[in-house]
Amino acid sequence: MTATADVRQETLGVQTATAVRTPRYRLRRKLATLALLAPALLGLLIFFVYPLIASVYYSFTRYDLVSPPEWIGLRNYEYLFTKDPKVVIAAINTFWFVSIMVPVKIIFALLIAGLLARARAASGFWRTLFYLPALVPPVASVVAFVFLFNPGTGPVNQVLRFFGIQGPLWFNDPAWSKPSLLLLAIWVMGDIMIIFLAALLDVPREQYEAASLDGANGVQQLRYVTFPNITPVLLFALVTGIIAALQYFTEAAVASGVASGKAVVGEGTGNNLGYPGNSLLTYTEWLYVRGFSQYQLGYASALAVLLFVVSAVILVLLLRRFKAFTPEGAA
Amino acid sequence: MNKRIARLHLPVMALTAASALILSGCTSGGSGSDFATTTPTELSGTVSFWHFFSDREADVIQSVVDDFEKANPKVKVTVHPGQDDEKLRKAISTGSNVDLGLSYSTDIVGNFCSTGAFRDLGDVIKRDNVDMNQFTDTVKSYTEFDGTRCSMPVLADVYGLYYNKDLLSAAGFTEPPKTLGELETMADALTTYNADGSIKTLGFNPTMGWYENAPAHIGPAAGAEWLNADGTSAIGTDAGWPDLINWQTAYVQKIGWDKLNTFTSGLGQEFSADNAFQTGQVAMNMDGEYRTAFIDDQAPKLNYGTAPFPTADAHTDLYGGGYITGNIAGISKGSKNPELAWALMKYLTTDTAAVVKLSNGLKNVPTTHAALTSSDLEVSPQFQTFLDISESEHTTTTPPSPVGAGYQQSFQDWWNIYQTDPSGDLSTALTDIDKQINDSIELVSGP
Amino acid sequence: MTTQTGLSKPGFAPSGLSRRGLYWVGEHAVLVALGVLFIAPIVFVGLTSLMSSEQTLTASLWPNPVQWSNYLNVFTQVPLLRWFANSALYAVLATAFMLVSSVPAAYALAKIKFPGSNLLFTAIIVAMLLPPQVTAIPVYVMWSGAGLTGTLWPLILPNLLGDAFSIFLLRQFFLTIPKEYADAARVDGCTEFQVLTRVVIPMAKPGIAATGIFMFFHSWNDYFGPLLYTSENSDWWPVAYGLASFRGIHGTDWGLTMAMTVLVMVPVVVIFFFAQRVFVEGITMTGVKG
Repeated sequence: MTATADVRQETLGVQTATAVRTPRYRLRRKLATLALLAPALLGLLIFFVYPLIASVYYSFTRYDLVSPPEWIGLRNYEYLFTKDPKVVIAAINTFWFVSIMVPVKIIFALLIAGLLARARAASGFWRTLFYLPALVPPVASVVAFVFLFNPGTGPVNQVLRFFGIQGPLWFNDPAWSKPSLLLLAIWVMGDIMIIFLAALLDVPREQYEAASLDGANGVQQLRYVTFPNITPVLLFALVTGIIAALQYFTEAAVASGVASGKAVVGEGTGNNLGYPGNSLLTYTEWLYVRGFSQYQLGYASALAVLLFVVSAVILVLLLRRFKAFTPEGAA
Repeated sequence: MNKRIARLHLPVMALTAASALILSGCTSGGSGSDFATTTPTELSGTVSFWHFFSDREADVIQSVVDDFEKANPKVKVTVHPGQDDEKLRKAISTGSNVDLGLSYSTDIVGNFCSTGAFRDLGDVIKRDNVDMNQFTDTVKSYTEFDGTRCSMPVLADVYGLYYNKDLLSAAGFTEPPKTLGELETMADALTTYNADGSIKTLGFNPTMGWYENAPAHIGPAAGAEWLNADGTSAIGTDAGWPDLINWQTAYVQKIGWDKLNTFTSGLGQEFSADNAFQTGQVAMNMDGEYRTAFIDDQAPKLNYGTAPFPTADAHTDLYGGGYITGNIAGISKGSKNPELAWALMKYLTTDTAAVVKLSNGLKNVPTTHAALTSSDLEVSPQFQTFLDISESEHTTTTPPSPVGAGYQQSFQDWWNIYQTDPSGDLSTALTDIDKQINDSIELVSGP
Repeated sequence: MTTQTGLSKPGFAPSGLSRRGLYWVGEHAVLVALGVLFIAPIVFVGLTSLMSSEQTLTASLWPNPVQWSNYLNVFTQVPLLRWFANSALYAVLATAFMLVSSVPAAYALAKIKFPGSNLLFTAIIVAMLLPPQVTAIPVYVMWSGAGLTGTLWPLILPNLLGDAFSIFLLRQFFLTIPKEYADAARVDGCTEFQVLTRVVIPMAKPGIAATGIFMFFHSWNDYFGPLLYTSENSDWWPVAYGLASFRGIHGTDWGLTMAMTVLVMVPVVVIFFFAQRVFVEGITMTGVKG
C-alpha cells in the first residue's frame, strides 16, 4: 500500500500529459496490451474455440481413437434422439439436480446465514463450524457420506434404530440415492452461506430502522428491505449453482462406485456409474461412459454438442440478467 | 523491456507446442513396428506388459515373468499390474507404451479385434508353427472374432457352486442342490434372522449384480443364448432367459427386496477376506474356480465343497455344465516391440511349465491339453470340479461382439432394476433389450 | 428479518428484554442443534478411522480398541506419499502457471480500453461457465496425440494459457481498484507492465491470494480430470482420485478408508486455518466462489 501511495504523490507533481500521447506511445501500448493478453487469447483458441469446432466435426463421425474418424452423417444424432436407452434417464437425473438440489441448497444456506446474522455469530466459531464441511474435498465427503449412510452398518441408521426408526437404504436404493446426495449438498453449503452472510450483514441498518418506524413488521421488512438488498447475490448463487449442477459428476460417480461395493477388478469404472439402478447416472457421466469407457468418441461428441446447446441457451437466458457477467459490471 | 520480451517468449513457445498438438491430434493410437518375416534368433530389449491382477495374484504373474526374463537374459519386462479393461483400452488407444495386454475376460475380444486395437496374430502363428489344436474349441472360439485371431488364451475361468459343508450338514443336507428349485428350498432352510426380523445369514443370495451373480454366469443353467448367428441379440427370443428371470425375481420377492438389499449392502467386498461366503454369512454361492485360491489364502479353515451350478428345473439335462470365460492376451496396435511381446505371449499361453505354474498359483483352469494333463498340476477335490465343468459339453461362453460386453451390460442393467419391482410384461421388456442391443451394435459397426 | 434492537420504547423495556431473551435462547438452541448435525459426520469419520475392519461392520460407534495403526497401514497399502506428492505438484504448478498467465490478462481486461475487449470478456465468461465435458473429447485427443495422457500434465499445462474462471475473478478484484491510481502511474511514465507490477498487483494482493487459493483447492479436489487422464497410471494419481479408487481395491475396510479420508481432508483444512482471512474475504468480496 505504501508503494502505491508514493506513486500517487509523485504523480501529483506531474502537470502535463501531452508529451506521452505520441503515435509511438500508442503503438507501444497496443503491443503491451497484446502481450498481456496473448497467453489467455491463445488458451481460448486452443482449449475452447478449437475443441468446440472439433466436437461438432467428431459428432458426425464414428471414432474410436484407434482408427481415423469415419464420417457417418447424422447417425449419431439419430441414435441419440431415437434409440439411446439411457440418455433420457441421464437427462432427467441431471434435471433433478438442477431443479431440486440447487434451490434447496440455496434456501438452507440462506436460512443458516440468516440465523448466524441474527444470533450475532457471524464470525469466529459458528461461521467456521458451518463452513468447514465445504472445505472437505468432494471425494472425501462422498466416501464419508456413503459410509455414514450405509444401510446395514452405518452410524446414521444405527442412530435411527436407537430411536426405533428403520432407516431407508440411502445410497443403495434408487429412490433414496438422489436425496442422499441432496443431504450431502446441504452439508457442504458453506461457501454460498458465507456469501449470503456477508450480503446480509451489508444491508444498511438504517433501512431496517426506517422500515420499522414506518410500521413494517418482520415479514414486511424481510420482503422490502432484506430481499432487494441480497437479490444480486442470490442470483449469482443460482447461476453458478445451475452451471455446477449441469456438469454434476464427481459426487454421483464416487457415490455409485463406493456404494455398489463392487470390485472394479477387471471391468473398470464405467460399469459402476449410475448405481443403484441408473438413479445417479447424470448426463455428463453418460457422456463419459460412451466416450471413455466404451470409446465411442464420435457418439460422445454428439452428446457433448447437445450439452453445449442446452448450456448455451441457459447461459444466454441468465447472462443477460446478471450484471457481473456483462463487461460493464463488477460484482 | 527485458521483462516484456520474456513475456512475449512464453506465448510463442506455447504457440509452437500447441500447434504441434493440434496437427498431431487426429492421428492417434500410435503406430508401432511390424512383425518380422522370420522368427528372430535372439531377443533383446524392453517389453511392457499390462495386466489386471493385483496383490497376491500379481505376485504369481510376476514369478512367471521372472522365469521368462531368466530364459531370455537380454529382455527386460516392465509390468503394469491392476489395469482393468477401461484403462487398458485407454492406454492402447492413446498410444501409451503397451506391448502386451492381458484382460480378465473375453469381452473385449470382439471390440479389440474389429477395431485393430489388438493386432492380428495369424501370420506369426503360421510363421512359428504354433499348434492351435492344443486349445479346446470353446477357448479357440472366444479368442477370435470374425475370423481374425487377435488374442491368445491365458488360463480360463469356470463358474460353479460353492457350498459351506458345515452349514449344510448342520441343516441336515449332505449333497449340494442340482436344480434351482432344490437350491431355493435348501437356501430357505439355511437362512437365519435377527431378533428384529432382519437377515442374519443367507442360504443363497439371489441378488442380481452381487459378487458373481451375473446373467452371463447363470445363463448356462437354462442353456440361454445371447446372440444369433448374424450377431444380433437373441435374448428376447430365447426360451431359457424367462425361466431364469422368473425364478430369480420370485425368489428375491419372497425374501423381500429391502430386507435383502439391507443385508447385502453390509457384506464385505468380494475379493477381501470379508467375502460373505468365506465368513459364513452366505452358505452357498456362485463363484469362479479362482475362489479356491482366495479361500486357501484368506480362510484356510473353511470346510467347503464345490459342484456344478444347479440347472433350471426344466433343464436338468444340462447339469454338469457351466459358464467358461478366460483371461486373454493381445499385442497392442502401437507396440514398438511386437517380437518381444509375441515371445512373452507364447511363453504365457503355450509353455507347459509356465501355464502349470500360473494355474497352480492363480488356481485358474489351464487352457492347453498338455498343461491340463500335466502331473505337475496341483488339483484339489474342490478344484477338480472346475476342470470337469470345463470339459462338459454343456459349458458355454459369451460370444464376442463389436460392442464388447455392451450387450451383457444392457441386459444386466435391466435385470438389476427389474428385480426390485418385477411388474410389467417380461417379453415386451426383453424385446426392448434386443432392440437396444441391436441399435448399439449398428451404431459402432453398421455400414 | 426483524430488528427490535435499539428501538424498543422505554415503557416496554422489561417485556422486550424477556422476549429478546427468549429469542436468544431459541436461536441458539437451533444453532447448537444444527451445529451438532454439521459436525457429526466429521466426528463419525474420525472415530471410524480408528476402528478395526471387523468393528466397523458392527453396531458400536466408539472405537474399541483404538487402532492408530490404520493411519500407518494406509501408507503401506497404497503409495500414499507419492499420491500426495502428485496432488501437491498438480495444485502448486497449476496455481503458479495460472497466476503467471491470468493476472496480466485480467489486468488488461479491467484496466485497459482496447477494441474487442467486450467480445473477449464474453468469450471468457462462456468458457468459464460451459461444462468442461463439452470440450473434453477433442482436448483429450490432442493430449493423446502429444503422448501426455497417463500423466497430470494435461491438467497442469493449460494453466500457462490462462484459466477463464481465474481471469474473471481477478478482473473483478482489479475493477475495485480506483482507475485514478493506474492513470496517475501512466501519466508518470510507467509502462503497462510497470503499472501492473507496481500499482495493481500490490493493491490486489488479497484478491490474487484468494484466486490462487481457489485454484489450489480446485486442483487438489479435482476428480474428473485425473479420472480422464491418469486412471490407467497409478504412478500419477492424485490423492483424491486414489481415495475414490481405494475401496474398490481394498474391500470394505472402512477403518482404513476413513483413515485415508481424514488424511485427504487435513491439508486443505490446515491451509484454510492459515489463510482463513484471505479466504473468507476472497469469497465475500466478489460474491464468487470456486
